[in-house]
Amino acid sequence: MPDPSRLYEAILNGDHKTSVAVTREAIDAKIDAMELVSRHMVPAMDEVGRRFECEDYFVPELLLSARAMKAALELLRPLLAAEGAKSAGRVVIGTVQGDLHDIGKNIVAAMLEGGGFEVFDLGANVAPQMFVDTIRERHPQLVCLSALLTVTMGSMRTTIEALKQAGVRDSVKVLVGGAPVTPEFARQIGADGFGESATAAVTLARQMVQA
Amino acid sequence: MTSKERVLAAIGHRPPDRVPIDFGSTAVSGIHVSCVAALRDYYGLERRPVKVHEPGQMLGLVEEDLKQAMGIDVDGVFRRKTKFGFPAEDWKLWRTHQRLEVLVPGGFNTTTDAGGDTLIYPEGDLSAPPSGRMPRNGYFFDAIIRQDPIVEENLNPEDNLEEFQPIGAGEIVSWKADVETVAGGSRAVVASLGGTSFGDIGLVPGPFLKHPKGIRDVAEWYMSTSSRRDYIHAVFSRQCEIALGNLARIHAAIGSLIDIVYVCGTDFGTQSGTFCSVQTFRDLWFPYYRQVNQWIHANTSWKTLKHSCGSVDRFVPSFIEAGFDILNPVQCSAANMGAAHLKADYGDRIAFWGGGIDTQKVLPFGTPGEVREQVLERCRIFSRGGGFVFNSIHNVQAQTPVENIVALIDAVHEFNGAVAHA
Repeated sequence: MPDPSRLYEAILNGDHKTSVAVTREAIDAKIDAMELVSRHMVPAMDEVGRRFECEDYFVPELLLSARAMKAALELLRPLLAAEGAKSAGRVVIGTVQGDLHDIGKNIVAAMLEGGGFEVFDLGANVAPQMFVDTIRERHPQLVCLSALLTVTMGSMRTTIEALKQAGVRDSVKVLVGGAPVTPEFARQIGADGFGESATAAVTLARQMVQA
Repeated sequence: MTSKERVLAAIGHRPPDRVPIDFGSTAVSGIHVSCVAALRDYYGLERRPVKVHEPGQMLGLVEEDLKQAMGIDVDGVFRRKTKFGFPAEDWKLWRTHQRLEVLVPGGFNTTTDAGGDTLIYPEGDLSAPPSGRMPRNGYFFDAIIRQDPIVEENLNPEDNLEEFQPIGAGEIVSWKADVETVAGGSRAVVASLGGTSFGDIGLVPGPFLKHPKGIRDVAEWYMSTSSRRDYIHAVFSRQCEIALGNLARIHAAIGSLIDIVYVCGTDFGTQSGTFCSVQTFRDLWFPYYRQVNQWIHANTSWKTLKHSCGSVDRFVPSFIEAGFDILNPVQCSAANMGAAHLKADYGDRIAFWGGGIDTQKVLPFGTPGEVREQVLERCRIFSRGGGFVFNSIHNVQAQTPVENIVALIDAVHEFNGAVAHA
């Protein structure tokens, strides 16, 4: 009988090979996919977030754990779909138009996935219309916008305006983040929230879907 | 004091006659080409297309007439080849996405993709995969990641060393010629010699290489600093060995004609924290930084400059211990990077080259009055007893109002007791 608690350790240690191996063993042993997620993966990523907050972990460790988590999740995704598993919430995320930087956004996306959210990652340099189209198609509760550059922060405002014009703004909560972004800026552009870090974004996302 | 004496006094922690100013001497203390053009207009200088001397960030060359208008105390000399591997020569006209005519190097060859993004090519070779992308309506290029699948057993540190080679006689001649053109002047000379940037994430993707090998993906590189330390040590160790040889050759050719070397632009800070622990820094980077600084200080009169964005408060003691003389860009807008704290705790041991104005909020979005206020405050704090060269926190970004840049310059001159630009 495989020991699924090894998945927790593998994710925490950023060991994606072990993460994949343990997940495969668990799938072969017919261990419930949702249980793997909720009892091992989500707690592991919560612990990764906690270690990041208290500076035991840094960006490299966060990326390694995220990769280990995502590798396991890829294997489990078909099973979760078949089980009709309910996610913590549905999120559309992307780096706004004009900005090609995606590491911060990728970390937030991974932490949200690790937190049990269903995440639709639109990538970087995402046009406002793409956010609008995806909201209509996927019906998320949350939209997360990222920008690293001072010169692209304005695209966050443009994107929110596009959501308003398309009549979908009120159907979602909009969270923003990235190095130059501040809570004041978030308020100015009409966002619903600001995440200073990936873990803060996950906490905020959880609060917002429960509100 | 001449400009050179002023800068040397400041970085030697002696009070200069006034706060020296840098804009444009390095790729981390420059001005976007659109703002250089606007400044030339503002100061009534000859109207001509501005040269883009650093095509990655689209930095404009701050030429002699503009330096005089702004009161700049530093000259910069750069590697012959740019970030995309072609030399900064054979200038030709190019129109930016904002329809500004600028001059770019002859090797600045681009195509436009279906989405309207501009693609640029290593060494200007259109037959190679593009290595940089400027988004439609964007202002500068980001490196395109070209990463072959990584097979752990086949990883070879030599693959990440392709760009670090002993420099040839031709490049030495080029350095000597470039340095001699500015060394006769009255300004301090900063040289970006290259080869000593250990793991600079802007260079890791190898935008100057036609077919980069090894670890070139940004996230993969960051992860490798935790999971493949032996590999990174092997790269840094050999890179350091080559760099020391190159420094000796360059020094033999140019001697004391330069004053400051821009050593490394690797960022260790983020807006609110750091990319790694101090312990990791001391294990992975410190030994190589110390070797470079020790060689320079033992063999030359040069001072050394370390650039790192972000919240690096906790790293500054290690930067000092590694032998760096100067810190840039002094990101006071990041966590725990307050000007007064930095000056009080480290100001007698490392000079601050930057920190003069916040380029994330105040300079691009503030009023000229707010710019003036912050500049005066930063000058008051940082200039006490020397140890300060005025520069903005990193490059002046596109879309920054020219009135704010002028307000910044005027405020430094006001602080210096000079008559501000009329």
